[in-house]
Amino acid sequence: MKPVAQDPLSQLTEIRAIMERSSRFISLSGLSGVGAGVVALLGTVVAHYYLQQQYGAQGYLRLFQTSAAERWAALPFLGGLAVAMIGLALLVAAFFTLRRTRREGLRSIWTAPARRLAAALAVPLVAGGLFCLKLFVSGAPELVVPGLLLFYGLALLNGSKYTLDEIKYLGLTQVLLGLAALLLPGYGLLLFGLGFGLGHIGYGLLMYNRYERPAGAKFAAS
Amino acid sequence: MKYAIHTLNKAFDHRVRLGVMAVLLANEQVSFNDLKESLDLTDGNLASHVAALEKAGYVLVNKQFIGKKPNTTYQATAEGKAAFQEHLAALEKLLRGG
Repeated sequence: MKPVAQDPLSQLTEIRAIMERSSRFISLSGLSGVGAGVVALLGTVVAHYYLQQQYGAQGYLRLFQTSAAERWAALPFLGGLAVAMIGLALLVAAFFTLRRTRREGLRSIWTAPARRLAAALAVPLVAGGLFCLKLFVSGAPELVVPGLLLFYGLALLNGSKYTLDEIKYLGLTQVLLGLAALLLPGYGLLLFGLGFGLGHIGYGLLMYNRYERPAGAKFAAS
Repeated sequence: MKYAIHTLNKAFDHRVRLGVMAVLLANEQVSFNDLKESLDLTDGNLASHVAALEKAGYVLVNKQFIGKKPNTTYQATAEGKAAFQEHLAALEKLLRGG
């Protein structure tokens, strides 16, 4: 550890940095968002073709009129796709964030704020996932996409106090898209791709530009 | 320009103590390990500085056990928070050349 900084400016800057680092997980890489968004877009496309192949040209819309037996038959594929997407997105996100922490010389990624962020996200996400599963099997498949967007958005809002501010706006975006999906059930798949795909990519690029671009100003007034 | 150093609180004239107070102001209760991790310190180094802050009445130490594992958490006292805010204000005043 370096000796005590002499001039007040560097002392203040350092105090601010310590307070920020100890209460927020700021090593989240923007590229994690871009990666997760690409995974989500791919998943949306796969779901679209699967539904068209199962139910004909109407695809997603026809899902609303399916019988319970038909939905149970579709559950392994759609559920498996969801689990695979979540796993892949987490993997990609972890890769880019680990790369960033390593570049910044931080020893551990699993710090106190990171644990708090994970817990703040996990509770609404697990609850929302189970809720949407129940919606799907009990005959309200049109509410699954709005439910996923809303719960995910609220999870992000809940977690945003432990990480970068952009996450709050990403959360709000998902909540708005979730509400739009409630009003426009027919556009569910499109709004899903918009929120989970383009939303992540957009905010990911924004965060990357702000905090990580090699030439850009790093951690400018936050 | 000469800095009016005497306006700064002596209890905070070490980088580690400044760091401990900064973490305790940003987080309500912090465990020994989390504090150590945030500041990138060794056990002994942190313990001696925290003891100094405790003696000054700025930090409250809670010793508990989770099972057989000791779990010590730290918390800034109201007095400590006020003193640290004053210290920050004094630093800012120095910056403005006051």
